[in-house]
Amino acid sequence: MLSLRTLLRHPIQFVIMTLGIALGVAVMVGIDLANASAARAFDLSTSAITGRATHAIVAGDQGVDESLYVRLRTDSQWRDTLESAPLVIAHTISPQLGGVPFTLLGIDPFAEAPFRSYLNPGQETPLESITSLLTVPGSILLSASTAQRYGLQPCAQRPVALDDACHLMLSINGETRDAYLIGLLEPADDFSRRALDTLILTDISTAQYFSGTRGKLTQIDLILPDNFDSKVLSKALPPGTLLVTSEIRNSQVAEMTAAFQTNLTALSLLALLVGIFLIYNAMTFSVVQRRSLFGTLRCIGYTREQVFVMVLGEAALVGALGAMLGLGLGILLGQGAVRMVTQTINDLYFVVNVLGIQLPASSLLKGALAGFFASVFAAAPPAWEAASVLPRLALSRAGLESKTQWVVNRVAVLGVFAALIGAVILTIPTRDLIISFTGTFAVVIGLAALTPLVTVTLMRFVGEPFGKLFGLLGRLAPRNVIRSQSRTAVAVAALMIAVSVTIGVQVMIASFRTTVTIWLDQTMRGDIYISAQGLSATRLDMPLDPRVITLANSQPMIQSSIGIRVVTVESEHGPVELLATSPERPIDARLFLKEQGNPQQAWQMVREGAVLLSEPLANRLGISTPGGLLVLLTPEGWHSFPIAGIYADYASTRGTVRMSLDVYQHLWSDEQLNGLVLFLAPRADIDTITADLRAQLTDFPAIQVNPSGALRQDALVVFDRTFAITTAMQLVTTLVAFIGVLSSLLALQLEKAREIGILRALGLNLAEMRRLTLWETGLLGASAGLLALPTGYILAWILIFVINQRSFGWTLQMQVDPASFIQAFLLSVGAALLAALYPAWRLSRMQAAEALRGE
Amino acid sequence: MTAFLRFHDLTKSYYEGDMQRVVLQNAHAEFQSGEITAILGKSGSGKSTLLNLISGIDAPDSGQIWVEGRDLTTLSERDRTLFRRAQIGFVFQFFNLIPTLTVGENISLPLELNRISRPQVHKKAREMLDNVGLLDRWETFPEKLSGGEQQRVALARALVHDPLLILADEPTGNLDEETGAQMMTLLAHLTREQNGTLLIVTHSLEAASHADRILRLSHGQLIEER
Repeated sequence: MLSLRTLLRHPIQFVIMTLGIALGVAVMVGIDLANASAARAFDLSTSAITGRATHAIVAGDQGVDESLYVRLRTDSQWRDTLESAPLVIAHTISPQLGGVPFTLLGIDPFAEAPFRSYLNPGQETPLESITSLLTVPGSILLSASTAQRYGLQPCAQRPVALDDACHLMLSINGETRDAYLIGLLEPADDFSRRALDTLILTDISTAQYFSGTRGKLTQIDLILPDNFDSKVLSKALPPGTLLVTSEIRNSQVAEMTAAFQTNLTALSLLALLVGIFLIYNAMTFSVVQRRSLFGTLRCIGYTREQVFVMVLGEAALVGALGAMLGLGLGILLGQGAVRMVTQTINDLYFVVNVLGIQLPASSLLKGALAGFFASVFAAAPPAWEAASVLPRLALSRAGLESKTQWVVNRVAVLGVFAALIGAVILTIPTRDLIISFTGTFAVVIGLAALTPLVTVTLMRFVGEPFGKLFGLLGRLAPRNVIRSQSRTAVAVAALMIAVSVTIGVQVMIASFRTTVTIWLDQTMRGDIYISAQGLSATRLDMPLDPRVITLANSQPMIQSSIGIRVVTVESEHGPVELLATSPERPIDARLFLKEQGNPQQAWQMVREGAVLLSEPLANRLGISTPGGLLVLLTPEGWHSFPIAGIYADYASTRGTVRMSLDVYQHLWSDEQLNGLVLFLAPRADIDTITADLRAQLTDFPAIQVNPSGALRQDALVVFDRTFAITTAMQLVTTLVAFIGVLSSLLALQLEKAREIGILRALGLNLAEMRRLTLWETGLLGASAGLLALPTGYILAWILIFVINQRSFGWTLQMQVDPASFIQAFLLSVGAALLAALYPAWRLSRMQAAEALRGE
Repeated sequence: MTAFLRFHDLTKSYYEGDMQRVVLQNAHAEFQSGEITAILGKSGSGKSTLLNLISGIDAPDSGQIWVEGRDLTTLSERDRTLFRRAQIGFVFQFFNLIPTLTVGENISLPLELNRISRPQVHKKAREMLDNVGLLDRWETFPEKLSGGEQQRVALARALVHDPLLILADEPTGNLDEETGAQMMTLLAHLTREQNGTLLIVTHSLEAASHADRILRLSHGQLIEER
């Protein structure tokens, strides 16, 4: 009851504390929901495809020859011992399906039953639909809920009427195909229903026709009995095919986004950490404010434990309310975050379509518990402080302040210790991001613990000159700041963290952007780029029509061209992206990070059959120096390639193997290209030729012709889009810190009411009082800003050279722009001053008489 | 003779929840320059409110207050502050020294607020601190002083800028009997020395004994007692 009344008596303090924890929880829950939704969507689509398959036969992007499937179904050695089903997988978008990516799954309905249940005739799907799937060209099936969502009706049956009402245009591999919805799948269970949400089912031959992969299968799914020796099957497979377990296959793909999602989670935890600081700060103040009350309570018989529980109870109440509010806000935030996360995953990793935000109970529970326990945890030290008050002997102000000084020194020592431990943790050579972030958090918290000491030192330093320059107010302000440490230190530390995160993230993004810009300049040396529009913004995943290549090369002003082929091939370490380019023009020597001999020699090796590894791939495979061998699966079987060098590449976090196009075409017997880079004759006008080419290629709507400048811009747009969520979260963290400072200032003003009354009685006018408040808060902001500069620099260094390296395998060139440091410092002072506006306004409403009457 | 300070029909009330409590009801009184007046009254009788109205910290509901012929009730909040800064010295029951300023700086405060030159501030503040016998405590912070010493510093701060009017709100209320008596002697002595006008609100008869006249505040009215 006493706790509740205390909270209700200070409604603003109460609201601010609740809001602080709510925002922290909201960011955490929002990001968690976005990650969970994306992961769930990915899980559903892989489960929908994998079904009950234990293994799959794959052959990279070249596909598995369908004759192998026939062999498995007819050869008695396999027919009776294992279950098999062919699959053709492609990604498509359709205007009738909202223009979002769908997965097209080509199946053999007769082989499906053991693998995927939703086609079982009579059980969930009408038999006539399955029959039509086999007999009607271009026929497809969708789940009933998907059809309903997009307002689609299946074609009439008996006889089948292929009319506009059931017609869909599917865009696959740059081609537009006519498809007809001939039936609806009505899965019995919720899981299957959601799994089918972004799936289009069709017959295997239709899928092959749609995706232009006649005679090829993406994979052959298998169910191998428990006692089956998979090595026997592996040995029997033709060259260029590989037997993999479904579980490992799926986890390899899921791991791609793990680093990205861990980074987001870490950033969201930072917002919660700032929220914890806020609660600690507010509870500490609340205890300081009521020291005499606790003394009285102890005097009338309250035990230490009762006082401790009372204060913790207040925090628990705030935590519970904040967590509830945070869950609501988090769900709203998740709606926005899921779009950003999905966009990035589609840009950088794989095609995933998240139709709606998932609300897993685990995410909500995690957020609620984090908010609640963070509040209770943050309140424990002040609660103990309250319980330690001696009966009727509430410490005098002097005692309290001298104790604060002792605490300031002690906390600083502990801070240095924590930062050192963090630094040691960061030196552990691991790719485990949890360990890396633990080290980072320890360093940041350790440096934050130095905030009170820095503030006090700075105030002592500026006290004298300020007094001389600004007279009475200049003298009072720094001393008041020192004196108010017990109330403001933690809020200032929280602000320091928020500002240093701003610096760290900004420097990291700026460094990244500069590195990528330089890299784009070094990489994109052609004049015009031709590619087919795919579903990803960063990957060349569509083949070019050979007629386009012939037409482009026949242009009079084209001096030379480079063909690019991008495929996924199997390696000993799972699937890897292979980039083959015409060898005539070596890559820029500056892109080489490590090479055998010199860049020219390394490129000569590439021409002769060696490969280059991109830095992320080399990191992922644990290869630090060239010289070894990389084993890749070619149609002729496993082939070892000497590694001639490691080069800088920021196009993919998965990593890329680079080889000569001649070598690739020879070994893979694949003449297709995904991209063509044109080099123009001197004095040729890029824009005119681009326009000419576009005009000549109107018959190929998916073909994109871009001058290099435009492509560079597009790349940077994707870059900025990737970091949009980071910036958004950084802003929320600053907002939480801002609320912390505001709450501290309001609380401080409450406590200083009498002092304000005295000054007013002595003749300080309102303008001077407001100026004093602004001076004080400006100095607090300056202290936070000042410490944030080195902390931000250190954080940027850690983000660039530790977190980025370990997450994505990229080496970035650190770019320190003094402007971002000045901006951050001004942000700190500005946030503090902004937070002081309301208290200063309240000051003008506060009557000196009232303040004095408070005696 | 024109009164140095006078007020007329002074009314002030407060709201306590929905209840209006009238503290002063058409009160009037006159005070001559150089006069020491004690105002007695029970707790909550409105003594401190009266001082707040006279100093311009608070504004009356109705009535006028003239100091040296100026009607304070017609002044803006800012002008009342400037008037208070220049013409009034305050002594509080709880000393109310600024904890972040040293003794010397506390005493210099009214002079600095009145834009006195730095050397003058230093000279006058030291003189005044010497007058209250604490010159050796110039650099000391208030928290290191005893209650009596703190009140002497507060006294020096109230008188340092030669105010025309000194308002003392229970100046001995937080001191022991002996220290309180010493304090009152010192206050009366310094006020007379400066030819200031002193209004003391108190419920201590001993403190009131130093006054030239005594008024009692009762039911919102001031009644001449001596």
